[in-house]
Amino acid sequence: MSSSPQQIALVDVNCFYASAERAFDPSLEGKPLVVLSNNDGCAVTRSPEAKALGISTGDPWFKLAPRAKEWGLIARSSNYELYGDISARVMELLGRYSAWLEVYSIDEAFLGIKGSPDQVLGLGRTIKAAVQRNVGVPVCVGIAATKTLAKLANRWAKNNPALCGVCRWESMEPEVRELLMARLPVSEVWGIAGRLEKRLNALGICTILELSRADPVVIRDRFSVVLMRTVLELRGTPCIPLEEERMGRDQLIFSRSFSTPLTSAPEFRQVLSVYAQQASARLARHHLQAKVLTAFAGTSHYNAEDKSFPSVCVPLPMPTSDPVLLTRAAQALLPAIQDGVKYARAGILVTDLRPSGNQQPLEPFANPHEERGIGPLVEQISRKYGRGTIGLGFAGLRTGLDWSMKRGMRSPRYTTHWDELPVVRAA
Amino acid sequence: MGVIIGPRVIEAGLSLRLVLISPVAVAAGFPSPAQDYFDGRIDLNEHLIKDITSTYIVRVSGDSMEQAGISDGDELIVNRALEPRDGSVVVAVLDGELTVKRLKITAAGVVLQAANPLYPDISVPVLADLTIWGVATRCLHHV
Repeated sequence: MSSSPQQIALVDVNCFYASAERAFDPSLEGKPLVVLSNNDGCAVTRSPEAKALGISTGDPWFKLAPRAKEWGLIARSSNYELYGDISARVMELLGRYSAWLEVYSIDEAFLGIKGSPDQVLGLGRTIKAAVQRNVGVPVCVGIAATKTLAKLANRWAKNNPALCGVCRWESMEPEVRELLMARLPVSEVWGIAGRLEKRLNALGICTILELSRADPVVIRDRFSVVLMRTVLELRGTPCIPLEEERMGRDQLIFSRSFSTPLTSAPEFRQVLSVYAQQASARLARHHLQAKVLTAFAGTSHYNAEDKSFPSVCVPLPMPTSDPVLLTRAAQALLPAIQDGVKYARAGILVTDLRPSGNQQPLEPFANPHEERGIGPLVEQISRKYGRGTIGLGFAGLRTGLDWSMKRGMRSPRYTTHWDELPVVRAA
Repeated sequence: MGVIIGPRVIEAGLSLRLVLISPVAVAAGFPSPAQDYFDGRIDLNEHLIKDITSTYIVRVSGDSMEQAGISDGDELIVNRALEPRDGSVVVAVLDGELTVKRLKITAAGVVLQAANPLYPDISVPVLADLTIWGVATRCLHHV
């Protein structure tokens, strides 16, 4: 161990999607703004002004829309191209401040940092200023001895303007920390939600302070080792290490909700076919092969009757990125689709990924399609002539693309498309 | 589309790097002497973009910067990380819009100037009152 102990900084972008929108459209500054989920379904990100109107995450847009004008509320469809690029810029920049970076989600990352309390606080402020200046989005930084406390410190930095967006847990007075932990419910702790919260409450553990004072051994025996680690982390003992980027990626997901519900197996045959081919293209581009494919579908959560969430997990005959094999595997979901039920979403998940070409299959197991390069060919044609110009089997049908995603209020893809660049006025 | 898979963002950013391709075919066993001198083709990204995290490309609309060599429809390469100085061509936020002007910093105050006499100067008491979005470093102009 070196002289100064490792500290962990959690950096996350404030209201990420809304901030990304504002970075390119200053007219949105100070106005209530919501960014909607896939298919313009519900609010997933709210600007502080939208929060002040009482809008909650998950509020369906069809309920907000009638009052939008009166509120001056602005809505944007999710602009994944933009958010993906802004996220990549933020993460690249954060990587310059620590060799130890764990990208935790699209808008947050853990960094391992070292130094005296003043030094790490100074570094936190430097990082905040750099992301704002370079990328153009605001972040908050929480610093602590453990990941779990860094999350809490980050939350405190967000809610306490006097901290200017940077908070080091151990730099606060012990009484302040205790007060804060006594005020917050356990559900505010990283990784605790839903049923776990209810079970803890039943034991009389309602606040974070109570959880931090619980007997770790009892917690382990009654719940899990994972929750015991959380208790220890709340006491300042690091138990959850930073996970640096692993070689390869664990999974790829293709999942969308539909603009109009699908109700029959033949419609699903086409949808799954398209997703399987997108997964194939993505795998090929990253020189990966999958061993397992999961296909799933689901009804809308707003649809009380006729709930159906079928899912199948198909082990693939060999690690593959071949569109024909993936498409065939995805079709395994079809028997589980109930006729007449209104499905609102479907998706494909490929897992157990490995770099392609790692091992040659024995000849009898070699995949004839892969040798003929069908996947790369389809991908090449799609790139040249656009998505939807060619597809295998049912994905090649020209009709019925009605279910593709609705993004009616999307802002320009400012940083990924030449014909959608931000416009600057010279007038 | 930026997609999050596990811990990393993929398919995002200005990842336009050219692929390194050897300019000469290499016969097995007899490497070409030119091979040793090949370090990759010249790369416009490397030349035009100093910091990938802070550089954005914007499109100009209007003729107020004509005499600065910036025409309607041109693309500007803008670096947000640069300190704006006297004489910088900047993208500033004016009335909620991104606007391109030349920045003049004098003892008397700060002025945003167009490079076209038809457009009036805009005076600002101090630089802090102004939101500078970024500093233009290059203009991609159709010739």
